[in-house]
Amino acid sequence: MTFYQSEIQRIKKACFSNEKQLEIAIGVKNYIEANYEHNLNLDVLSHLKFVSKYHLLRLFKKYYGMTPRQYLIDVRIEKSKEQLQQQLSVTETCFAVGFESVGSFSSLFKAKTGKSPSEYQKEQLSRSNSILKS
Amino acid sequence: MKVTLISIPVLDQEKALQFYTEKLGFIKKKDMPLEGGNRWITLVSKKAPDGIEILLEPAPLHFEPSKVYQEALMEKGIPYTQFDVDDVGAEYERLIALGVEFSVKPTVMGTFKFAVFNDTCGNNMQIVEML
Repeated sequence: MTFYQSEIQRIKKACFSNEKQLEIAIGVKNYIEANYEHNLNLDVLSHLKFVSKYHLLRLFKKYYGMTPRQYLIDVRIEKSKEQLQQQLSVTETCFAVGFESVGSFSSLFKAKTGKSPSEYQKEQLSRSNSILKS
Repeated sequence: MKVTLISIPVLDQEKALQFYTEKLGFIKKKDMPLEGGNRWITLVSKKAPDGIEILLEPAPLHFEPSKVYQEALMEKGIPYTQFDVDDVGAEYERLIALGVEFSVKPTVMGTFKFAVFNDTCGNNMQIVEML
């Protein structure tokens, strides 16, 4: 066994030995991925796993390093990139991935990617055109 | 400021280029000749062609501390860096079929699954899937 493998085992024992907690965190993460377009919040997610919302918040952050809300936004932004590439409008994309306002979608998109949704869409279109021409 | 490049030290740039493109599936983005037969070779992921570039850097051949560091990581089985994949199990099977050697088979650690392979250019590399 290498030094790395023994360190992995040590850290796993110290940090990831609570199977029940892991099952809750992973279950919630998978639920977010499968239902990102719906109105998800801590109440909904905590009822799902029969835990308090504060306990869920702590567990999710402990095992994923971010809150369920932050993860939901990341998933929605990634899904919105796919929709924009398929030439859906910014407004259609916004509602299709579960955001409730175009303003907040656009500002979150820009904060996460460095570009506005329309800039991103134009870039992707010009990339597809240049691939077709080459 | 933004992150655009990470460098990976390699013992043979041409061999690394072949391994990282033909086996791992990266795409060559830049390949410029430099002095002494060295090249500025960068790669990008197929999934993120506008994303961060990997520089295949021949540092261990020219800078002793880089060689010492690379050898120390290799000896201890420590990955130089890691790449995200959708399915570690599937990627492990795909790479095994291509003759890639793994020092750590797909292993679950908390909310992650990972595996470690030899990039044939002096490094251990890790693939990771978030569960």
